[in-house]
Amino acid sequence: MAGYAAKVRGDIARWREAGLIDAATADALTRDVGANERASLSFGSILAMMAALLFGAAILIFVAANWEVIPRLARVAALFAVILGGYVGGAFSKTRDHAAIGEALWIVAAAAFGGSIALIGQMYHLSGDEASALLTWCAGTALAAVALRSNPLTVTSVGIADAWLFLKWGGFFRRAEFPYFFAAVALVLFATSFWTRSQAARHLIILSILFYLALLAIDRNTLEVAIPLVLVSALLFAAAIFAAEPVDRIVQLGGRLPLHALIGFLAGLAMVQFELADEVSYSSGFAIASAAALAGIVAAIMLGGRESRGLRWVAYAGFAFELAIIYGVMLQSMLGTAGFFLSAAVLLGILALIIIRIEKRMRAPAGGGAAA
Amino acid sequence: MSGKRLIIAALVLGLVQIGFLSWIIAGRAAILRNGKEVLLKVEPVDPRDLLRGDYISINNSISRIPVKLIANIPAGKFTSNDTSIVVRLKKGADGYWQPTTAWFGKAPAPAGPDEADIAGRVADGWGLREPDATIAPEYGIDRFYLPEGEGMAIQSDMRVRPFGIKLALSANGTAQIKALMDGDKTLFEEPLY
Repeated sequence: MAGYAAKVRGDIARWREAGLIDAATADALTRDVGANERASLSFGSILAMMAALLFGAAILIFVAANWEVIPRLARVAALFAVILGGYVGGAFSKTRDHAAIGEALWIVAAAAFGGSIALIGQMYHLSGDEASALLTWCAGTALAAVALRSNPLTVTSVGIADAWLFLKWGGFFRRAEFPYFFAAVALVLFATSFWTRSQAARHLIILSILFYLALLAIDRNTLEVAIPLVLVSALLFAAAIFAAEPVDRIVQLGGRLPLHALIGFLAGLAMVQFELADEVSYSSGFAIASAAALAGIVAAIMLGGRESRGLRWVAYAGFAFELAIIYGVMLQSMLGTAGFFLSAAVLLGILALIIIRIEKRMRAPAGGGAAA
Repeated sequence: MSGKRLIIAALVLGLVQIGFLSWIIAGRAAILRNGKEVLLKVEPVDPRDLLRGDYISINNSISRIPVKLIANIPAGKFTSNDTSIVVRLKKGADGYWQPTTAWFGKAPAPAGPDEADIAGRVADGWGLREPDATIAPEYGIDRFYLPEGEGMAIQSDMRVRPFGIKLALSANGTAQIKALMDGDKTLFEEPLY
C-alpha cells in the first residue's frame, strides 16, 4: 500500500535525523522501499476495473436481448471486433505504461468472448447446458491470462470456474453428476496463477476449494470429506507456522497460508459437528469434535496470532461459531426463550472478554507478552 | 514481457479465440446446410435463460423414448449407464417423424431412405426393467431462443394448436434446430449464420 511506503519513508527520514542510521543506509532503505512497493490499487485502476466489469455485463445483456434490428452476423462481427480490439488495445496500453487501462480492456475482451459463446448458443438454439458454456468461457479466459500474464484475468477465470461449480452442482435436489471436474480446474488455475503472478487468484482458489469440499460433504458422506480436510488443514497449518519461509516460497501466499489452513480446519470440524449433532445423546463424537475445534483455535492464536491480525479474527469468528453450535446442540432442549437470551448474553460476554484480553496481549511488545 | 511480444501474444490470442468461435459457427451452419430434415411435434414448457434471453423450452415427440424401443439392452440390466444413444426416426403419414427403434451406443446398420438417426445422451440410473418405462435422452434441442418479448405469445399459442420443429441431422446424428413451425406455417426459419 502506498500509505505504508510513505510512512516508512517518513520513519527513515526521522531515524536519519535522529542519527540512528547514516545517510548511506537511509538511502539504501528508501530505495528498497521504493523497489518493493506493491503496484498498489489506485482509485483510478479500481474505477477502470469497475467500468470494464459493467461493460462486460452490458455485452452479456445485449446478447440476451436478442435484438433483431441488428442482423446477428453483424452482432457476431461486433463481438469479434471487441475481442480482438480489447486484447490488442489492452496490450498497447500496457506497453504505453497504462497498466490499469490495459487490464481493463482485457477484461472487456474476455467478457466479449463469453458473450460470443452465449450468442452462438442462441443463434443455433444449443440447449446443452449453460454449465458447459461457462466452462468454455473459463478455459478461454484462463488461456488469455496465460498468454498475457494477467493477474486480473486469472482472478476472473477463477470467478467463472466458481460460477460453473455452483451452477453444475445445481442445489440440494439436483439430478446431475457431482462436478468432480472442478478439482482439476482448480489445480490448473492454481498452476496458472504462478505464471501470472496472481496471489489474489491463489487465495480465491483455496477458498473455492473449501467451498467445493463443503458441497461435496453435503452431497456425499460428510465424514469422509471432513476428517481428511481437518487433518490436512492441521498439517498445512503446522508446516506454515514452523517452516514459514520455505513454505511461503513455494505457495507464495504472502504468509497467509495459516489463515486458509485455519479456515479449512474449522470448516471441516463444523461439517463433523453438523453431521454428529443428532447423535449427541448417545455418542461422544460431537463432544470430541467440539473439543478439537476449541483446542485448535487456542493453538492457532498461540502459534500464529501474534503475526497475523487476520488469523486472530478468523479464530474469534470460529470461537463464536463454536459457542453458538455447542450451545445450540447441548443446551437447547433444556432452556426456554428467556434462558436463550440469558445464555446468549453470557456467551457474548465471554467472547468479548476473551477477544479483549488476547488483543491486549498481542499488542504488548514481544518480551512482555512472553512474560505475562 | 517486452512490448512487442505482448502485442503479438494479444493478437494471436484474439485470433485463436475468434477462430474457435468461428469453428463452432461453421460446424453448426454445415449441419443446417447439409443435414437431413425431419419434423417433430413439440409442446412448450417454460422460459428464460440468464445469458441468452427468452426461449421456449420444448418437449418434442422423442423427448421420452419407451424402453421397449431400445433394441440392445443387455440381459439382466436394470438401470441405464451414462451413455450415448441413437434413435431411428421414420416419417409418419401426418408428416411428423416418430421413433421406431433405438440403440445404446451406435446403430448396427445405416438408416434407410425414409429414415433418419438422431444421436443423444442418456444419464445413468433410468430404470430399464418395467415394460412400460421410458427414458429421456438429451439431444441438445430442447430450447428455441426468440427475440425479446415474443416468447409468451408463442408459448400460449402452442397450448392450443400443434407446433413442430424442423431439425437438420448430420450424418453422425447431431441435431440442429432449423425452424419453428406453426402447423404448416414456418414461424422462424434459421439462416445459416
